[in-house]
Amino acid sequence: MAYRLSLSRMDELLEKMRESYTIYAPMRFEKRGRYSDTDLVRYDKIRSVRDIVYDEKSHFSPKEVIHPITQALFHFTEFEYRESEVDERPVLVFVRPCDIHGIQRLDTMFLENGDAADPYYKRLRDKVKFVLMECGKGWDTCFCVSMGTNRTEDYSLAVRFAGEELLLEVKDPSFRPLFASEKTADFRPEFVSANRLTVRLPEIKSRDVLEKVHALPLWESYDTRCLSCGACTAACVSCSCFTTSDVAYSENGRSGDRRRVWASCLHKDFTVMAGGHGFRKTPGERMRFRTLHKVYDFRARFGGADMCVGCGRCTDRCPQLISFAATLNRLSGEVDRLNAEAAAATGVSV
Amino acid sequence: MNHDIDIKKLQVNCFRQSKVPGEFMLQMRAPGGVVQAKYLAVVQHIADTWGNGQLHLGMRQTFSIPGIKYENIEAVNEYLRGYIEEVEVASCDVNMDVNEGGYPTIGARNVMACIGNSHCIKANIDTLSLARKMEKLVFPSHYHIKMSIAGCPNDCAKATFNDFGIVGIAKMEYDYDRCIACERCVETCASHATRVLSLENGKIVKDVCCCVGCAECATVCPTGAWTRRPTKFYRVLIGGRSGKQYPRAGKIFLNWVTEEVLLAVIGNWQAFSAEVLNHQPRYLHGGHLIDMAGYEKFKEWILKGVKLNPEAEVAERLYWTETEYRSNIHVKPVCGVD
Amino acid sequence: MTANIFKPDPYRIADIVHETELEYTFKVEAGVKVDHGQFFQISLPEIGEAPISVSGIGRDWLEFTIRKVGKVTHRLFSLRRGDRLFMRGPYGNSFPLDEFRGKDLVVIAGGTGVSPVRSLLKHYFDHLDEIRSLHFIAGFKDRGSILFADDLKDFAARFHAIYTLDKEAIPGFQSGLVTEHIRKIPFAGFADYNVVIVGPPVMMRYAALECLKNGVSKERIWMSFERNMSCAVGKCGHCKINETYVCLEGPVFNYTKAEQLLD
Ligand code: SF4
Ligand code: SF4
Ligand code: SF4
Ligand code: SF4
Ligand code: SF4
Ligand code: FES
Repeated sequence: MAYRLSLSRMDELLEKMRESYTIYAPMRFEKRGRYSDTDLVRYDKIRSVRDIVYDEKSHFSPKEVIHPITQALFHFTEFEYRESEVDERPVLVFVRPCDIHGIQRLDTMFLENGDAADPYYKRLRDKVKFVLMECGKGWDTCFCVSMGTNRTEDYSLAVRFAGEELLLEVKDPSFRPLFASEKTADFRPEFVSANRLTVRLPEIKSRDVLEKVHALPLWESYDTRCLSCGACTAACVSCSCFTTSDVAYSENGRSGDRRRVWASCLHKDFTVMAGGHGFRKTPGERMRFRTLHKVYDFRARFGGADMCVGCGRCTDRCPQLISFAATLNRLSGEVDRLNAEAAAATGVSV
Repeated sequence: MNHDIDIKKLQVNCFRQSKVPGEFMLQMRAPGGVVQAKYLAVVQHIADTWGNGQLHLGMRQTFSIPGIKYENIEAVNEYLRGYIEEVEVASCDVNMDVNEGGYPTIGARNVMACIGNSHCIKANIDTLSLARKMEKLVFPSHYHIKMSIAGCPNDCAKATFNDFGIVGIAKMEYDYDRCIACERCVETCASHATRVLSLENGKIVKDVCCCVGCAECATVCPTGAWTRRPTKFYRVLIGGRSGKQYPRAGKIFLNWVTEEVLLAVIGNWQAFSAEVLNHQPRYLHGGHLIDMAGYEKFKEWILKGVKLNPEAEVAERLYWTETEYRSNIHVKPVCGVD
Repeated sequence: MTANIFKPDPYRIADIVHETELEYTFKVEAGVKVDHGQFFQISLPEIGEAPISVSGIGRDWLEFTIRKVGKVTHRLFSLRRGDRLFMRGPYGNSFPLDEFRGKDLVVIAGGTGVSPVRSLLKHYFDHLDEIRSLHFIAGFKDRGSILFADDLKDFAARFHAIYTLDKEAIPGFQSGLVTEHIRKIPFAGFADYNVVIVGPPVMMRYAALECLKNGVSKERIWMSFERNMSCAVGKCGHCKINETYVCLEGPVFNYTKAEQLLD
C-alpha cells in the first residue's frame, strides 16, 4: 500500500511512531562541516520529517546506528566483566538503496565471519527497520549501478519527498494500521538506473596476476597523496573494523569500560603489534589493502558481492581529493594489461 | 618646471608625491582586498590614459597607479566617481558624499584581509564581509588607522603588524562518542599549532588555556568529532607596526570576542582618536595614539559602552617588545621641547 | 541474548617464573582443552586485551610466556601468585600433530618464537614414540634472552638440539643466526618429515628460504604467524591478510599458504 501525506500529517504519524521506535535520519548540523561555514550532514535522532536531509547525500553513513563509533562492551571491576546494557527500543532508520546493501556487507562480517555472531552487532541489528529514501538522480560521486547496489527490496517503508508532501510505500504490515485512514496513492520507489560515473571492476584472473597487482607502481602514487587519515573509511557504510580497549573511570583504575571504537586500515598503526613491528608501512601499501579488500578479498572470501557498494562517500570525504572510483578504474586498466600479458605468455591468443 | 602644488592636500586626496616633480601615484581602495574583476578595466583606463601604464599592487591591497600628472588629477577624480560609489557606498554601505573630488581622505587606510573562508580551507571567518563592515565604521575619517583581517591564526594578512589586527578564530567542540582515538588532531595541533591536545584513556584531552582557535583539529578529524562552534570569534591584536624608529609586533588585546563586540570596539576608534588628539587629526597612526594614551586609558575609551560576550578575554596589561633601531630610544629630553 | 563471545573469565595465577628480565611465564589454573599452537586473549581490567600463545599445557593448568612489550603485558608483570587474570579462548588452529605422526620433525624457533613451540616440544619429550626423530634449533639474541633454560637442557638430552646465540658462543650454545645452522639438519636422511618455523617475521622468512635451499619442499614447512589482533574471532579486521583472517585460519599456516599471504 502507498499513501500521499502532507509533511504536517506525516509529523503527526511520526510522533505516534516515536512512541515505539527510535527514528534516525540524516540531519543537517549547520556550520559543523570540515571547513568554515560548511554544514555537516550525518545521522541523528529526528523529531520531524522536516529534519531529514533527503536531497543531499549524507557525509557519514547510517552504519553509525548499528555499529556505533564508540560502544561500551563491558563494565569492569577488579572482579568481573559485566556486559553493557542496550536500549531495547526498535529502530527505524532512513537510508539509501546502497546503504541497505552496505549494511548487508556488515551483516556478513559481524554475523557470518568466524564461528559465531558478534553479540553487540546482533543486538542492535535485530531491532533495525529501514525506510528507503529515493535518490532522484543520485550524486556525482555515486557508482551504485556499477556495483549492482542501486536497487533493493529489503525495506519496511519507502519514501519520496515532494515539497510539502511525501509519498510513502508501506511494505511492512506492522505499519499498516497506522496509515489506515490516510489518502492512498499509486507509489513505488524509483531507483537510479544510471550514474554519472561508471566504474569498471578489476577482474583478477590468476594468482600470478594478483601478485603483480600487489607490485603495481600505481600504489606508490598514494605514498605522497594519501594522508592515512581514515576519513574515507569513517564515512564508508561497509567498513567494519574496530579496536577494543579498556578505559578506567576512576583514578585508581579499578573500574571502567571495555569498549570498541572504529579502526581504519589506512591508519599507520592498524597492523602494528605490541613491540612495534607493523606489516603495512606505507600509505600506498595501506591504500592497496583497502582497495583490494573492497573489490577483491571480500568476494574471494564470501563469494557473491563486493564489499564496496559504490556510495561514493569515501570520495566525498577525502581531503586530498582522491577519488575511489578513479582508483578502481585505474586499477582495472592495469589488471586488463596484466591479464593480457599473462594470456600472451601462456600462448593463448587474445 | 615651475610647480606650485599643495602636496599635503593631494596626499589627503590619496595622491602620493613622486620623485618626478609634478607626478603623483593614485591609491584606490579595495576593502578586504577584493573587488569585482571588471574594475581592472577602470584601473587600466586610468593607468593608460593618465598614468604611465603601470599598476603597482599596493602594499595595503590598494590599486596604485603611478605617473599621474598634476594637471590630470581633476579628470582622474571625476572618473573615479563611479568606482567609489560602487565599491565604497554600494558594497560597503559607507556613509559619504561621493562627488567629482575623488577620495575625501587618506586617514583610515584600506582595510586589508586575506581571502578568508570564501575560499581558504584554513579560514574560520568571512574576512571580506567583515572588512566591508569595518570600512563602513572607519571611512571616511581623517584619523589614521591601519587594520588588517586574517581568516585564521596563520595570519597571512599580517594582522600582527597593524594598529588593529583581527584574527578569525573558532571555539572547538569535541564529541566524545565520535572520537576514534586516531590522534590525527594531536599530531596536527603539535605540528601546526600549540600542542594542546593529548590522548588519555582512549579519548582526547585539551589544555584549553593555550588553544589558538585555529580549527586545524576539525579540518583533519576523520569522524567529525571536532567541530567549530557556529558562532564566529575574533582575536584582536593592537599596536603592531613597521617603521624607521621602533617597529613592533602587535600584542593581544582581546581574545574570543564576537563580531558584535569587535564592531563595537572599532566603532569607538574615532572617538578615542579624537580624545587623544584633542579633535585635531594628525598624521599619526593608531599605535602611536595608543602609546600616547597609555594602555589603561586606551582600554577604557575603546571599551566604552561595549558589552563583552561571556567568552571574551581582555589583556590586563601589555608589554611591548619593540625593535629598537637606536637604543635608549625611549629616553627623551623632558624640558626644552615644545 | 546469544552467548557473549567477548566475555573474559577470571583465572587464578598459580605460579610466575622469571625466564629473563623481560619474559615471565605465568602458570594459570585452567582446565581447558587446548591444542599446541593455539592462543588466548588475555586481559586485565583497565589495560585491555592481548593475544598470547600457550607455552605449556597441563591437565588443569596452562602456561603463557609473556614478553614485556605492550600495555597489557607491562601490567601483567606486576601481578603475583594468587592474583587473577582474565582470559577468553583458546583461539586459532594448532600444529598438525596427526600429520607429524611417525615422521621426523624439525623445529626451528627464534627468540620469543620458542614459547609457542614449547608445549609441542614438551609433548614429544613425553611421547617421543609418536614421531621418528626430533631436531630442534633454538636461537636467541644473547645470553640474557635465553628462555626456558631448564627445558632446553632436558630437550638436549632427548632431541637432536642445536642452540645458538646471535653473536657469541657459551657452553651449550653455538654462535650465529638460526639460519646458519639449518644446513646441519640431515634432511636427505629423512624418509618423510615436517619442519616447524616460529619466530619474528624476518627470521621466519629467511629460515624458510634456507630450508627451501636445503631441498625442503614447501608442503613440509609450517609457520606460526603473529599479528596485531583485537578480537580473535574474525570481526575486528586487524589480523586480515588478503582474504585470510589469521585469528581464524591461523596462526599456524603451511608454507604453501603462508607464501600466498601478501601483506
Ligand atoms: S550510490 Fe548514490 S544514487 Fe546509488 S543508491 Fe547510493 S546514494 Fe543513491
Ligand atoms: S569504499 Fe567508498 S564507495 Fe565503496 S562503500 Fe565504502 S565509502 Fe562507499
Ligand atoms: S580520506 Fe583520502 S587521504 Fe585520508 S586516508 Fe582516505 S584516501 Fe587517504
Ligand atoms: S582526529 Fe578526531 S577521531 Fe582522531 S583522535 Fe582527534 S578527535 Fe578523535
Ligand atoms: S584549534 Fe586549538 S586544539 Fe585545535 S589544532 Fe588549533 S590550537 Fe590545537
Ligand atoms: S583478530 Fe579480529 S579479525 Fe582477527
